[in-house]
This record gives sequence, C-alpha cells and structure tokens, in this order.
Amino acid sequence: MMSQMPARFDGAVVDRVPFRTSDGTDLGLCRISREPGRPAVLLVHGHTVSSEIFTLPEIRNLVDVLLDAGYEPWLLDWRGSSRLPYNEGRVRYSYDDVSLYDLPEAAAYIRGQIGDRKLFVVAHCVGAMALSMSLAAGLIPGLAGVVAHGVFLTPKVTWTVRLRSHLGGELLRSRFTHVPVDIKKVGLRSRYTPIFGLASLGADCPDPTCQMLHNSAWATGASLFEHDKLDKRTHDRLSELFGSVPTWILPHMRRNELAHSVMRWNNRDRRYARLPENALESAHRIDTPVLLMSGSKNKIWQDSNRLCHDLLSRRQPQLDVRYTEIPGYGHMDAFIGRGAALDVFGRIIDFLDEH
Amino acid sequence: MTEPTARNREVDRRWEGELIDGGGDRSARVADLLAAVRQTSVTPSARQTSVTPPARQEIATSAEQDAAPAVHRPAVPPGDWTVDRLTSAILTAAGRLMPGRDLHAEIDLFDAGASSVNAVELVAALDRDHGITIELDDVFADARPRKLAERWLTAHGAPPGAALVAAVPASLVPVEGSDLDMIAADLSLGDDLPWCDAPLPVTPRRILLTGATGFLGGHLLLDLLRRGDAHVVCIVRADDDEAALRRLGDALAGFDLPWSGEVRRRTTVLAGDIRRPRLGLSEPVWDTLTRELDSIVNVAAAVDFLRGYPSLRQSNVVAVRTLAELAMTGPSKPLHHVSSVAVFNEIGIASMGEDDPLAHINRLVAGYDKSKWAAEVLLRRARERGLVATVLRPGGIGGHTQTGAYNAHDLSCGFSAAFSRYRTVPAFRFFNVAPVDWVSQMAAAIVYEPDGWGQNYNLTGRPNAMSELVRDLELGGMNVEVMHWEDWREDFIARAEADPVPGLDFLARVMRSPTAMQLCEANLSSPAATGTRTEAFAARHDLPAPVRYGAEQSLKNYERMARDGLVTLPSAEDAPYLWFPETMKGRIDDKPAALRITLSIASMYQLTRQDKRTLDVRRGKLKLHDQLLTVESGEVWIRPDEGVPLQGGFDHPLLRYDLRLRDADGQRWWLEGWKMARPRRDLWKQSRTLTVEIGREGEPATFSGVLKVPSKSYLRDQFDGIQVDPRLSAQEQRTAKLAWLSWFLPEMTRGLLEPGFRLLADLLDLRKDAIDRQRESDLDQDRATIKKRVRAR
Ligand SMILES: [Zn+2]
Repeated sequence: MMSQMPARFDGAVVDRVPFRTSDGTDLGLCRISREPGRPAVLLVHGHTVSSEIFTLPEIRNLVDVLLDAGYEPWLLDWRGSSRLPYNEGRVRYSYDDVSLYDLPEAAAYIRGQIGDRKLFVVAHCVGAMALSMSLAAGLIPGLAGVVAHGVFLTPKVTWTVRLRSHLGGELLRSRFTHVPVDIKKVGLRSRYTPIFGLASLGADCPDPTCQMLHNSAWATGASLFEHDKLDKRTHDRLSELFGSVPTWILPHMRRNELAHSVMRWNNRDRRYARLPENALESAHRIDTPVLLMSGSKNKIWQDSNRLCHDLLSRRQPQLDVRYTEIPGYGHMDAFIGRGAALDVFGRIIDFLDEH
Repeated sequence: MTEPTARNREVDRRWEGELIDGGGDRSARVADLLAAVRQTSVTPSARQTSVTPPARQEIATSAEQDAAPAVHRPAVPPGDWTVDRLTSAILTAAGRLMPGRDLHAEIDLFDAGASSVNAVELVAALDRDHGITIELDDVFADARPRKLAERWLTAHGAPPGAALVAAVPASLVPVEGSDLDMIAADLSLGDDLPWCDAPLPVTPRRILLTGATGFLGGHLLLDLLRRGDAHVVCIVRADDDEAALRRLGDALAGFDLPWSGEVRRRTTVLAGDIRRPRLGLSEPVWDTLTRELDSIVNVAAAVDFLRGYPSLRQSNVVAVRTLAELAMTGPSKPLHHVSSVAVFNEIGIASMGEDDPLAHINRLVAGYDKSKWAAEVLLRRARERGLVATVLRPGGIGGHTQTGAYNAHDLSCGFSAAFSRYRTVPAFRFFNVAPVDWVSQMAAAIVYEPDGWGQNYNLTGRPNAMSELVRDLELGGMNVEVMHWEDWREDFIARAEADPVPGLDFLARVMRSPTAMQLCEANLSSPAATGTRTEAFAARHDLPAPVRYGAEQSLKNYERMARDGLVTLPSAEDAPYLWFPETMKGRIDDKPAALRITLSIASMYQLTRQDKRTLDVRRGKLKLHDQLLTVESGEVWIRPDEGVPLQGGFDHPLLRYDLRLRDADGQRWWLEGWKMARPRRDLWKQSRTLTVEIGREGEPATFSGVLKVPSKSYLRDQFDGIQVDPRLSAQEQRTAKLAWLSWFLPEMTRGLLEPGFRLLADLLDLRKDAIDRQRESDLDQDRATIKKRVRAR
C-alpha cells in the first residue's frame, strides 16, 4: 500500500523503518528527507485512518508542504491505523497503549536518529488526544512544538451524538468486534447492513462509505468532514482511507468524553501507572508550545479545542497555548481537503517556523 | 438593497475609508476638516448658500495654524473669476497637494491619482486661499478642474458677459446630457476591438484577476486557488511589484484570508493600474499575458455612490475595454466580468432576471449605476465580435458566514449597522444580499467550468423580504420600527448628526447625497432579483444552493461588526428581554444570611455564544449577618467550561455566580458562588445549593458558607416569576418564556445528570465485549482478514 509513495515527493528519500514497541507491537514508521539537518516533524494520524491522510497524491498534501518549507516529515502508523491489522484483531488495546508505547517510543526513536535537531509533532483527532496523555505524563519531554487538530485534552461531542454513540456503542460492542466502513468488503447483506442503513438515513450522497463517515459517522449522527471540501478523487476512495472501528475501544472513548477530559483506562494495571488518571489535571506537565486547531464546522468534536484553550488559559496560564479556527472546515477535511494546503497547512508552517 | 460588487481598494476613492486607514496626525487634521465641511452639505439647499458659514472660518483658522506663514485672503472678488482663472487656481492648489503628478484642465483629479483626502484638502485650500466654496459632492461628481470651475461659476451667478461662455461654450450642457454623450462615446470604444474565435473549453491554468485587494476580489482569489490548480496573476496598483505584493498580503489579512507561502506560491502579483492603457503594464509584460493567460476575471471597480460618471468611467468602463482587448488578443480567453444588479437600478423596473432588459440609461441617476451599465453594454458589443464574456451580478455582498469578515462600505452592511443602532427600518420590498463566501464560491466555479462561460448570472442569493429581516432582528432582541423611506432617511440623518458614529459616516454621506439617495430608493422599491441560471449551475456542479442571509448566516458577521463598534447588540445596558427573581437563604460563617437577586438576559442571542453563556445580574441585595449589601452587577455562568470538573473527580460545575456588591459605607465586595452537580440522588437539592465565598474587593475571601433556594420559592420565582419585555405582544411574551424554559431546563437537567452518566458508564464498562463471545467461524474470518492484511504490507 505504501508502494506508491516513493514515486512522489520529488527529490525526497523515503526510508521505511522497522519499528516495534516495547510491548511487542509492530507499527509503521517512515522518514521522508530531502537534505540532512532539517527539523523533524512527526505526523500522527487519527483513529481508523492511516498516515496516508498526510500523503494523498491527488492534493497538495502536508508532506509536500513540509518538504518545501524545509522540514523533515516522519510518518507514524500507530496501532489504530487502518493499514495495520489491530483494529479488526483479537488483541484489544486502549488509548493508554498509544500514549504509553506508540507515541513516546516513536518520538524517542526519531530523537535517536536526528540527534539534537528540533522535533515537532502534528497530531490529528484521537492521535492528538492520545498525545495529550503522553505529554501530561511527561513521556515526551522537550518537543519544539505541538499542533493538535480537532481535539486535545477535552473531548466533547453534542448531546445527540453522546446518547447515540455511548448507548448505541453499548449495543454495538455486544454484537460486533468491529464496524467496517466499506460495504463492498462485507457485502450488501451482512450483519452490518442495519448500521449502514442507519447511517444512510437522510443522506444526500449515494456513496455508502461517505454516508457512514459524512452523513452519520458510524451511525452516531456526527460528521467527519465537509462534503464540498473533498476532491472528488478523494471522495470516491474514502473506503481506502478509512478502516474498521473496533467496538471494544468505545468504553475508553466514552469515559473520556463523559468527563470532557482524557482519562487513563487501566486503573489496576501497574504498567500504566506512569500515565496520570486524568490528563487534564496534569496539564501543567506540558512543556512545549501548543497550537490547537479546529475547523469552524467540526461536527464531531465541535468546539472541543476552543474549550481546551479557554480552560488551559485560565487554569494553566503559564502554558503557551493558542487556538486557531479554520473557517468553513469540518474535521478530516482539514488534512484531506482539496484546499487544505491553502487554508490549513500554511498556519501549521507559520507555527513551526515561529518555534 | 442592491449594492455593488467588491470594493477595490486600489481604485476606490471613498474618502471615509482612507481617513480611517490613513492614521497619523495628518488624517486627524483632515477628520477635523471633514467634520466642518460636512455641515455645509447637510441638505441640498445648503449647496446654494454662498455665505461662508462659521464652520468654514474654523477650517481656515486651523489650516492656517498648520501652514506657518499666514496665507493671505484672495484678492479676486467673486465677480472677477473666469473659467480660465478659476481652473488655473484649482490646478495650482491641486498641484501643491499632489506634487509630481501630470495635471491639466481636462483630467479627472481622481484619475490623476488624487485620494479622497486630497479632495478634502483641495476644498479646504480653495476656501482658505480664495474664498471659493466648492462642495465635496461636486468634486466627487466630476473632478476635472475645468468642470469644477464652470460649476462653481454657474452656481455663483457668473456675471453676464464673463469669459465663461466664450471660453468653453460646449461644456454648458446639463450634466445628465453630457453623461449620456460620454457614455455613448465610451461604448464606441468597443468598436475597434479585434475579432476573435471562441476560446477552447478547457479548465484554466493561468488566470488574471483584478481587484484582488478588495472584499470580493480577495475572497475570489482564494476560491480560485481552492477550486482548481490554476496559477493566478493579480494586478494590484502600487509603485512596484514588491509594494503590490505587500498591499495584497495586507488586504487579505484584513479580511481574515490566509496569506501563507502556500498562497504565494500560486499567485503572481504585478504592479499595474487597470485605468491605464495595457493596464499600466510594460509592453513585454502585456505581450506575455496575451500569450500565457487562459482566463480573465475582472473584479476591480470604483465603487462609489457619490462620484459621477466622468470620475468612474476609467475604472469601471475603460478598464473593461482594456481587459476585453487582452482577452481578444493572442489566443482568445474568456472574460468574466463582475457587474452588479445596479444595472437594473431604475425606479419601477418590472423584473430583474438574468437575461431581462437592463434599466434605461437615461433613467439611471447615480454615476456608479451608469458606469456598470455602460460596461455591460460594452461587453455585449464585444460578444458580437467573438468575445466570450461572462457577466456576474452580485447584489449586496454580506459578511462571511464563517469569519464574519465584511466590507464596511457595502450598503447592506451600513444599513445593518443603522438598523441595529437606531432600531428603525425603512420600508422596503427585498434586500438582495448574499454572503461573500457564497458569491465568491459561485464565481470561482463559473470561471473553472466551460459550460458556464459567456452567460449572465445574478449572484444575488435568496432575497430577504422585509418581514424576514424584521423577524431576525426581533429574535436577536432588537425590536425595530418600520418607517416610510423618506421619514426614515430624515430620521437617520438627524440621529447621525446628534450622535455621530464613525462607522456610519459613510452611510450618512450617501443619505445626504441626492443622487445616491435615489440609488437607495431604487433599491428599496426593487423587485427580488432572480437567478434561475445561477441556481441551475449550482445544482449541476454540486454547489450550495442559495440560502437566505438570515440571523444564523449573518451571526458571525454581526458579532464582528459589534466588536468593531459598528452595530450594537443587546447588552446589559439595554432593557432586559426576560428576567426572574431568585431568593436564597442559608448560613455564612454560621450566621444567617439571605441573597435576593434578579437574573436577566438581554436577548436569546446571549445564550447562543458557546464561550460565554451568562445571565446578567442587574440588581439585588445580600443580607450578611446584620449588614445589607447592594448587588451592583454580576453574571451567572451556565455550565461554565461545559461543566468540566474543577479538580478532576465527579463534581461538575452547574452554575457559577460572580457578583459585585457595595456595603452601606460604600466599600466594594465580591461574591463567588458555585452550584455543583454530583453523582448523588439528591439532584433537586443540588440544583438549589450554592456554595459561596465573599471578600472585599482585591482581597481574599473573608466569609464562606452555603445558601439554598427554598424549594417553595424556587418554582414560584423561576417559573411563575418570569417577566418578559412588556413592549412585546402577549403572544411574543409567551413564546419568549417558553423559549427560555426549553433552553434552560434541558441545560440544567443535562448538567445534573452528567455525573450520574459517568457512574453508569463505569458500571457498563464491566460488561463483556463481543470479542469474548465470538464463535469459531468468526474467529476464522478474523484470522483470514489479518493474514491478508499482513501480506499486503
Ligand atoms: Zn459523499
């Protein structure tokens, strides 16, 4: 699946790195470099997508823009990536594992390669949420800056989505191990048909994957992107970009969202004791400038990042946290939208250049 | 309210804008001059006054103080002025203000590069040096020095036999007639355009855009970049390319549009001037453009309702001809021209469809309307020679629905400001207004889609009827009175004078100008513009259908105008919209205490703000031990920070009280109180219990305790005790009460239930997952999937 990449990014060398975390999970890590000595930027995708959201060939993507702006992008596929088998697998994980193993160890690996060059992290959605826990645990000290898109320390959805996802999720997880988004893979008549049916109610667009993501995300009523921001080519291959959602992770998500705070899932397992019980309460340990971003029409996390900014500026005034709203954008489209380079990536580069 | 297209800052000479933009001492002085000058042009009749009013003296005095050596009063008595003498006096004065410019009697001073500030200075200088009182309106109407001289002499009764008639007999024809002649001559400019073939119907790769520093132009630049992969060449008026680039960057930033490296790499900025031959570009650059461009988009225009046709024709008509020439030279290119529904601005016009006949030119009054009309007719002639010319006609261009960015000199924006400030509305039929993001998105799509080229489009969106607008204002807590147009205008001018608002200067000036006034009147009585072709195009290309620019769409714009002081939103200073009392009793530091306050909202809008949802506390009393403190002001925050617990845990804040009080000795105190939701069954008690801390201003808390709303008075106060603005009708009052309760009760219920949900979730977390109950066949399927995945990597 990654084979199409080396053909692009003119003049850049793509090194895929074998990368296994200390709990024995194989992840994807990849460096794209043009010439040595550039500051590194670790890109962290959201849950059930993959690092491909940063390298879409049909648009001017974030990797293109970072390379042209003098940075060295590093792509991580953490265990929630749609390119990895874990979302449909037998072994359950929680976001604690991402905060404890995937992110800190990837950052440590990159540090080992780049020496004392600067390291930034740009993270999207659940990737950013997990990162906030790593930072609050002090597991990734000394970053040059962090860009968190969509959500960070304070996940928040609307009450409708709340009820549908937290209660509906309960139903789902007793019946399914995961929920697919590609009806072609599971067939028209499968046990998942009712979910697709629910997601399609009132949809304008006939594409079932699009309905599952845009009209009513996994039938919760949320929406992952603004439809008209996507390039048609991206729209027509959404099923390649998004993978299945594991239902057993829903309780952890629910715990976070109901508290509007990123919470540790494992409370009795001593291995996770390095993570604080509530990341928001440990936000004072964040030691890097943070740019919170969100589309003005984010229909899944709503204004979570505005809330996060307000809270941190009042409760942790010593932190360097700012908030930028991207007019007209929803959620995913801020990275995979046709105009993302113009409307979003420029702001990311401005932030990186500044630090 | 029809309103022109974008405002192009480079050619737009609206002087108010420059005063605001200009900054510095100089602009402050000009502002003073203006304040004085304005008083002389309040009514049309004031124009006839030849007596120098006192204000004039002040101008002279203040100006003289600045110009150190006292300037002598003129030696020429009024009767001795001739056209030639006066023309040369004007030229001399103008020359001092605009050094290095090539001026002569027949050039429009604005075309020679005068700014609006220069115009004001010129008026002041002529008065000071010669006692010549020329109205600013006259300068804006036609700024050719000889014309100014003739007008003044005519108005001031040039003595019979004066050199006037002999010198330039032809120029004594009435202004309207001469405008028509000039328009006729301008239309014939199209006759020497080359003949050309239709352009290839392919997606453009290199687009020329004029007017990118303006409101619509800036948004269109970004939408052109977003929609396709084309490179955009912008012509920006500046001394050199570097300055042009800076100007564009500043302009975009001012509209909250991105100006990052990503935008710059797809944009080329050339310094030029659309009013000049070859757009002010060198011949090699022009030649390259004729070869390389494959699309031309003209947004630039002088948008000014005060200036006359002669002073607008270079920017709005001659420039269009130059662009047509560019389009028809070399490989032919489509020309997409932003016109305006102003081409229909004839009082009593029957319909405003996309292919309907334009207004009769002899019935158009404002120079702006005439110039937009002439440009369209010129393009119609060019179409006959093979040019593919698209005509895009916006009406009023409203603020951006997401950023709220707006054009303060759009009439619809000025009217909004006036409505909200004075709470009056003139009777009108339709407001033809659409938000800039929609107009720009539509225009960009038409530029990219060959099946849309060469037609006329009304980009007017879905018109707002008066009843809809009034309803929106009411929902926003602003009850407005509808007035007859003439009464409204007089009322507005009177109020604008009594209580001048800097942001409304522009509208006041328009209202005082007889021609601009007729333009407004034509707008108010105009039918709804229809955009059948535009809607069909939108449907064909998956673009958003037009939506009414109503309360929700314009909310961000309103908020931004409010921040800029242009509109006034209902606030704690207004009469409350809805209020109710609250009484609490309890013990503070173990002594009895009681708090009685009145909670109110100024509008339902107050509750829609996600970052600050508060009730106002306008009055109340706190009985603390044996003291009685007066509540002076305060807020009650509803579910502050979305109820995120203060110190982790399960206690979620429900309400926060922030009060400022004063005791009998005049000492100031503060009170902070929290109502918390906890995962317990006593929800009813939680909703009534307030934990408070009280202290002297600037000092830590001295008292603390708990106050409770007695359960009896809770229902009595917070349901039956609700009062609504008595100016609303009985029905409106009932609706308001219901709207409040149906917002507040669910909000409190959710807040109270939140901790309970978390406990419930913790219980559910103990349940088994499907994975623990999987059958063997499911497991096989899983294993197969995983194997396939691993192989794929
Ligand atoms: Zn779709």
